[in-house]
Amino acid sequence: MRATGILRISVLLVAVVGWIAAFGPTAAGQTRDLAEFLAAPEDHAGETVALEGELIGDYGFRRNGFMWTQLNDDAYTRRPLVESGFLGGSNVGIGIRMPHALAAGLDPPGGYRQRGPVVVVTGVFRYHDPDRQGETYIDVVALRVVEPGRRLAEGPNPITLGVGVVLITGAAVVLWGYRRR
Amino acid sequence: MLIRPTADDFGTIGHYLGRVLLLVAVFGLVPTVWAVLAREWHPLGGFLAMVGVFALIGAAFLRSFPDHETLDWRHGMVVVAVTWLVVPLIGSIPFLLSGHFGSPLDAYFDAMSGLTTTGLAVIQDLDHLASSLNFWRHLLHFLGGQGIVIAALVLFAGGGSLTLYYGEAREDRVLPSVRSTARFIWAVAVLHLVVGVAALGIAALVVLGFEWERSLFHGLMIFFAGFDTGGFTPQSTSLGYYHSAWFEFVASVLMVAGAMSFGVHFALWWGGRKRLPVNLETRTVIASLLATLTLTLAGLAALGIYSDVAGLSRQGAFQLLSAHTGTGFSTIPPSELARWGGLAFGGMAIAMALGGMASSTAGGVKALRVGLTLRSVGDEVRDILLPHRSVVDRSYMQFSRRWLTPELAKAAMTVALLYVALYLIGAGVGIAYGVPLERALFESVSAGASVGLSMGVTEPAMPALLKLTYIAQMWLGRLEFIAVFVLIGFIVSAVRGR
Repeated sequence: MRATGILRISVLLVAVVGWIAAFGPTAAGQTRDLAEFLAAPEDHAGETVALEGELIGDYGFRRNGFMWTQLNDDAYTRRPLVESGFLGGSNVGIGIRMPHALAAGLDPPGGYRQRGPVVVVTGVFRYHDPDRQGETYIDVVALRVVEPGRRLAEGPNPITLGVGVVLITGAAVVLWGYRRR
Repeated sequence: MLIRPTADDFGTIGHYLGRVLLLVAVFGLVPTVWAVLAREWHPLGGFLAMVGVFALIGAAFLRSFPDHETLDWRHGMVVVAVTWLVVPLIGSIPFLLSGHFGSPLDAYFDAMSGLTTTGLAVIQDLDHLASSLNFWRHLLHFLGGQGIVIAALVLFAGGGSLTLYYGEAREDRVLPSVRSTARFIWAVAVLHLVVGVAALGIAALVVLGFEWERSLFHGLMIFFAGFDTGGFTPQSTSLGYYHSAWFEFVASVLMVAGAMSFGVHFALWWGGRKRLPVNLETRTVIASLLATLTLTLAGLAALGIYSDVAGLSRQGAFQLLSAHTGTGFSTIPPSELARWGGLAFGGMAIAMALGGMASSTAGGVKALRVGLTLRSVGDEVRDILLPHRSVVDRSYMQFSRRWLTPELAKAAMTVALLYVALYLIGAGVGIAYGVPLERALFESVSAGASVGLSMGVTEPAMPALLKLTYIAQMWLGRLEFIAVFVLIGFIVSAVRGR
């Protein structure tokens, strides 16, 4: 009976925090820059933060009710490399986890020829979480899709394809001559 | 007096180089087929161009040098040293054409890092890279780890194979002939491939909850990088991407298997397990692992970075194991590793510098050389302390009782000193560019010992000379100097000899 009560209060708290996070001040654009945030992560341990970025890689739906993925906030979040050709350094990302329910209906995560959904996540920054043997991640309580995921167009380069075929043909001819000798 | 190489010398070297390049062209077909199956048409062009260049140069060499002599030591070493320069050069073509690299030097850096199983990377936007290109990055680990030339030995009969074998920094033959040893090495690799990919794939599917295709993909990539102690990963956050102690555990088993000598693999498979605990190399590697682990954990505890023992142990032990085996996986970002100062830094740097076992895919000085050096020093001290007519037992166990001759001790110490010099030179170049001492030393040791852990110095924007320095360190460290020195001597003889 007592356990049920605690569970109800917990669900209510998560709902309130989630509502505030989704519709409160942080959702109005006050997201943090991930690179700056990770420059001094120990200063933000336990804080509730809002981060904007692209969901990347995989959606790992685990049996414990959480979905794990990665949130990237870097040059490619705003300008996909395939479309712009702009190189903006290495990726900047952080692991995030959220209840399965929050992850329902999300577009596929980012990868080759796929731009993942750009989202604003609000959650608690778990820095060296003792419950997960020192892992660092964001425990997401609210998620808002800013820009849905989409396919990125990238086609073949006829020049490199042609050069490759010519070179391989040339090698075959040379090798044929060698074998005949 | 230097003797100028003859046309026959060049012919023999060219002939064998042609064979090896043709073999790499065949390996290059694997990611090409992958690109077709995955419908990744843009990278396909890069792969075709790469295979074409490998095949054309290889075929041209064979056609130009059809007659060849039996390889002698000089020829073999030159073939190996040139192979390890040329393969990353041509192998970087798909990288360069992918648009993920800022310059040809950057593409070459990653190809050299892949082949030498180092794992340092300057690729940009890795998280959006095509799967076929990711596969090629990791396949380079496999080719380099198992030895391209070793593969050539399996496929091509011919004399002089011993020189090629030793040229790739392999020291012991576990079977009577080099060719049968090479076959054994590849058999071990293929068996681990099947078991390792299955274990990692199942862990990704069941524990991480990934889709089955992606589970298989991650399993394959992490196997290549773990078993060959490479360190590349398909995602930018390295093994921290998976957030799973189980996944890290399976990867750790593969890392340890990769850092074990093929002699140990042979003993584990075909008897001789009882001799392992008394082997000088086994004892040395266990002692150094325990010592550096203690240093690292004590250092982390002193720094107070982790608030609990479980976190400190898991994170500290994994990074340390990754450093000691020369793998380079990490579960923490480089910026956090850079905060590991004091004892933790010392433990990690020493672990990287020492490396794994001889005749394994790990880099560094290697446990056998460390053991021989320490044993030799101990013998000298005992020789002085004991009465004049006493005889010091200068034998040691390495699968059988062997004698620690002055020549052997000298050879072990020389290579160890060369590694120290390599680490210091790289650190010096880093310091000259304003990199703080600790980070410069860490990054230099990581490059020279083929580890791949980074404190954030290695990045796309780092100076070109620093990239070239790390490339040279990876090449020298992986081939353990001798083949490179012979190549330099060969070039000097060609220019100044009579």
